[in-house]
Amino acid sequence: MVAAAQHPNIELMTYAEVENVAGYVGNFEVTIRKKARSVDPTKCTGCGTCWEKCPTKVDSEFDLGLGKRKAIYLPFPQAVPAVPVIDREHCRQFTRGRCGVCQKVCPAKAIDYDQQDEIVTEKFGAIVVATGYELFKWEEVYGEYGYGKYPDVITGMHFERLNNASGPTGGKIVRPSDGKEPKTVVFIKCVGSRDEAKGKSYCSRACCMYTAKHAHQVLEKIPGAQAIVFYMDIRTPGKAYEEFLQRTVHEGAVYVRGRVSRVFQEGDKLIVRGEDTLLGRQVEVAADMVVLATAMVPSSGWEGVAKMLGLQTDKDDFFQEAHPKLRPVETFTAGVFLAGACQGPKDIPDTVSQASAAAVKVCQLFTQDELATDPMIATVDESICAGCAMCEKVCPYKAISMKTITERVAGKQVARRVASVNGGLCQGCGACSVACPSSAMNLKGFTNEQILAEVDAVCL
Amino acid sequence: MKRVGVFVCHCGTNIASVVDVKGVAEAARSFPGVVYATDYQYMCSDPGQELIRKAIKEHRLDRVVVASCSPRLHEPTFRRTCASAGVNPYLFEMANIREQCAWVHAKDKEGATRKAVDLVRAAVAKVCRNVPLSPGTISITKRALVIGAGIAGMQAALDIADAGYKVVLLDREPTIGGNMVKLDKTFPTLDCSA
Repeated sequence: MVAAAQHPNIELMTYAEVENVAGYVGNFEVTIRKKARSVDPTKCTGCGTCWEKCPTKVDSEFDLGLGKRKAIYLPFPQAVPAVPVIDREHCRQFTRGRCGVCQKVCPAKAIDYDQQDEIVTEKFGAIVVATGYELFKWEEVYGEYGYGKYPDVITGMHFERLNNASGPTGGKIVRPSDGKEPKTVVFIKCVGSRDEAKGKSYCSRACCMYTAKHAHQVLEKIPGAQAIVFYMDIRTPGKAYEEFLQRTVHEGAVYVRGRVSRVFQEGDKLIVRGEDTLLGRQVEVAADMVVLATAMVPSSGWEGVAKMLGLQTDKDDFFQEAHPKLRPVETFTAGVFLAGACQGPKDIPDTVSQASAAAVKVCQLFTQDELATDPMIATVDESICAGCAMCEKVCPYKAISMKTITERVAGKQVARRVASVNGGLCQGCGACSVACPSSAMNLKGFTNEQILAEVDAVCL
Repeated sequence: MKRVGVFVCHCGTNIASVVDVKGVAEAARSFPGVVYATDYQYMCSDPGQELIRKAIKEHRLDRVVVASCSPRLHEPTFRRTCASAGVNPYLFEMANIREQCAWVHAKDKEGATRKAVDLVRAAVAKVCRNVPLSPGTISITKRALVIGAGIAGMQAALDIADAGYKVVLLDREPTIGGNMVKLDKTFPTLDCSA
């Protein structure tokens, strides 16, 4: 993280969103909204006085509600850049029109309540999409695990925060309900993954391993603790993965093959009732905490990204690569590449490999001074184009736009709308030439005349 | 008058065990515009390509049809062959008599041969109407945008930046790091994630 922040060739734009993408490979024009932080980053020293004194406390998104943050905050202590933002939905200065504590205490005079969102348009030659994943909303469908009403039934990500030294508990594994150290922790795998009835059909690929890690951490950090893992299958296809699992098992983690049918509260305990399919009998565990290995799903907002960049998505809304085996980081939009879990669930080693692959594709593009374009692209016969714009509507690559031409008709200058093809964007799919009612649109190398000649040769 | 050369590939036994390749070449000689037709074991091999180059020179061919595999595989190969012999690479057509003929009609050799002849006839008819094309060029802004600053975005940005290009690393959250910085130690090495 620090390496990325300090690299002279990397400019960070945090708290910013892409609003529009125009152009084509080598020549993208991207409109970016830099959201108002309400803090001047050129003055802020990151001293922390503002968030220490801020009187408003809200649930921390970063800690998934396990901890609190202030209305002016850094998501976590090592955040980069170390410039806080004001959450205008909760800040009293914005909700009630008075407070101003942070402005008063800031020694650098960096607080600016009047700061506005800034819209910038920048040119880029290539785009890497690395929008990541979020967790499947298990609370909405898994009634058997309590629909999220038991505070001590948490996700793996919650567990990570509890376990993290910079997290809300300083790295102590405790129950969110009463802060007590759990002695028996049950892990349930495949919550939302490999479950076509309630969740997703796919395997989320990282959960078997992080659950093994969690079980190891319970046994390591809590003396005399028990870690019990309910699983459907254990998948450890990575370097040193199986060995890691075996280490956890040898440390005493109990793996039970079977699904959990119900979790319910009984006094201080969470009763986990499930099946041990290897023994062929029902099992019941009185647990202090239950950790769910929930599925990875695409990060919210994927629809907008797909639309702006002309990306296709698969049945589960992950971005579609150009070829599942041979072009895993390319997309159908030239100059746009994929990295990480936005393309499909993956763990850190696979993500890093794919990110480096995407980087190579970008560098490969940048080593050329000019890019040769395929000449087999659409072309318009302006003399017969009626300007109906049917082609513009069907073009999947946003390569067609309408332009106005003027011509002399009977001694007068007449303006007329016709279609125009952007040679950088056109991929030569031919959809426009099929849609064109007046045969004005033709694909070079696949003209109507050429195709008819082929048909005639076979049929006549 | 067009001067088309037709080259029928055996693809080892992939095509030749089903399609009568010599018969296809013989039939092709009668198609309008065809001045030369032959068959060869592996047209994509170096001697196969050399055969095409020699035929272009000897028979003054201005258009080429290769009847072989899918153009997805070897269209770029044969376009280069044509270009190296002075024929515009877009005055070339490929008839797919492997995936779309031999492989799918293995049980009907006569029918497959008839279809191969038809496919070649269609390709010849098309190539006679091909016009020379040349690729365009577009300039490149050597600056990359990485959307999302989790582990994937950071790694991609670092690699591109290390190669000497400018990168903008963008994230909607106030900080970079993504999901990864929420994690404690990571498997299998248990090192820290920040």
